[in-house]
Amino acid sequence: MRIDDERDLHEQLEAAFGAITPAPAPVDGAVRRGRVIKARRRAAVAAGAAAVVALAVLSVPAQRHGPAAPGPVTQAGHYAVTVQAPGPHAAPGLIASGTIDGKGWQLTAAKPGSGAPGTGSRGQMFTTSGAAFGGAATAQPGQALTVYSQVPVWFSDSVLTRGPVQVQYGAVRADVTYVAARLDNGTVLILHPVAVYGVRAVAFAVPVGARIVDATAYSRHGQIATATPFNAPNGVAFFGLWLRPGQHGLARTSGRIGSGTAYGGWSATAYLGPWGVCIRVPATGITSAQCTPAASPGSAGLLFYPAGKGLSVMAGQAPPGTGWIVVNQPDGTTTKRRPVTVGSQSGFFAIQVLPGPHQMTWSELK
Amino acid sequence: MNAKLDGEFREFMHARWPVVVRLAYGLTGDQGHAEDVAQAAFARAYASWPRVSRAGDPDAYVRQIVVNENRNRFRRHRVAERLTDSPPESGLAAAAWADTTRRYEDRSALTAALQRLGPRQRAVIVLRYWIDLTEHETAAVLNCSVGTVKSQASRALATLRQDTELVDEGFG
Repeated sequence: MRIDDERDLHEQLEAAFGAITPAPAPVDGAVRRGRVIKARRRAAVAAGAAAVVALAVLSVPAQRHGPAAPGPVTQAGHYAVTVQAPGPHAAPGLIASGTIDGKGWQLTAAKPGSGAPGTGSRGQMFTTSGAAFGGAATAQPGQALTVYSQVPVWFSDSVLTRGPVQVQYGAVRADVTYVAARLDNGTVLILHPVAVYGVRAVAFAVPVGARIVDATAYSRHGQIATATPFNAPNGVAFFGLWLRPGQHGLARTSGRIGSGTAYGGWSATAYLGPWGVCIRVPATGITSAQCTPAASPGSAGLLFYPAGKGLSVMAGQAPPGTGWIVVNQPDGTTTKRRPVTVGSQSGFFAIQVLPGPHQMTWSELK
Repeated sequence: MNAKLDGEFREFMHARWPVVVRLAYGLTGDQGHAEDVAQAAFARAYASWPRVSRAGDPDAYVRQIVVNENRNRFRRHRVAERLTDSPPESGLAAAAWADTTRRYEDRSALTAALQRLGPRQRAVIVLRYWIDLTEHETAAVLNCSVGTVKSQASRALATLRQDTELVDEGFG
């Protein structure tokens, strides 16, 4: 083919593709999806930061909370918790209150977008207060309460942890009348949604280390779906996939998907189960975790973990048939890894990346 | 993200949306899929916009994601979507179907011929001869060697030259 032919081809392609009239640019839709992606990435940071805060609080309790300092992580089953929805005269923003071993707690949401630093319009401030938290009220940034139509309850994946307590909160779809959360001590917490700044929300608090067995959402017609959370080894639970009655998730298994020696060593582990897929990247005392509901197991996913100062790890699951995962590092070098299989799922990877822009690709199996 | 960056992204997406959809269309051959792929690409760009913007070539970033998204989509659907020699029954009356088909053929014989290529050859043609990327740039986007780009382009062009429908239209 001569040059003229190639130019001709360009013109013919231009004419063929130019005949396409795209729909108006869905800018708001892309921004919304982008914020969800960003929020998921940020959740990993928040989980890591929360773990740091928890470790710091546990290591120097006297300095932070005096006599009311939190004790060690609760042994499974040895605790008593209650929860109740706010009454008609409750303070604005109050989502729920309750007790842990007789000590009271409250969770209050601030108005969305009301100054959660660094969280943009996806952020919302939440205040935890009560003796269960050591007394003093503390405001923390979290993911804004947002309803997602695909799931009955969107439990935030930036779980609020304060000392020995984890607070699970989420936005509830309109058809949900209540949510039942089962705990490993046999308690079933009934969560009644309450309207908070235009969004129906639920919340409950349990000790870090208490295993949340599952949460089931009910409509007035009956059971909608159940979510079995991933109870991470650091004692915090992460909700992912919701399964309708009769649906089955992945079999429970786990496996290491990457490791390195930088910054004191790190390793990444994928945990598969009814929650979908969760990946943890603990490094030098910092723990990041992120879950992605494997609604369509094997579909591509990418999670990005800033796992600690100076250390960033890209981890995720490439599509089936992937032979290599390739990261072009900012310094011009290329890092290639073979994907790892965990249980019934293939394509897992975890690669340390240098600070700066990256380009990641995967290639077909060869 | 601050308001300035947010506004910058919105402006970028408004400006580049048609081109990105057309690129995705070239790769997928389906406008609906193309718009899905394009929106996913822009969403990912938004999620990393401060970094993407700083890097100075947001077009390249979005282009890379479109290619990756399409590759992943193809892998997911390669069994479900099987190319056939004849169009499936459409439910239209025969005359109306023939008319519709003729209009389609007039407009996009080349697009149809592209869809008869393999996904990698199609991507090479679109990136090299429509986007006008160099062989090196195309190789980087497709994560393959320059030699592979050359051979895939050569085979793709040979296939297109032999495509009877394009020969009929004077391409060959």
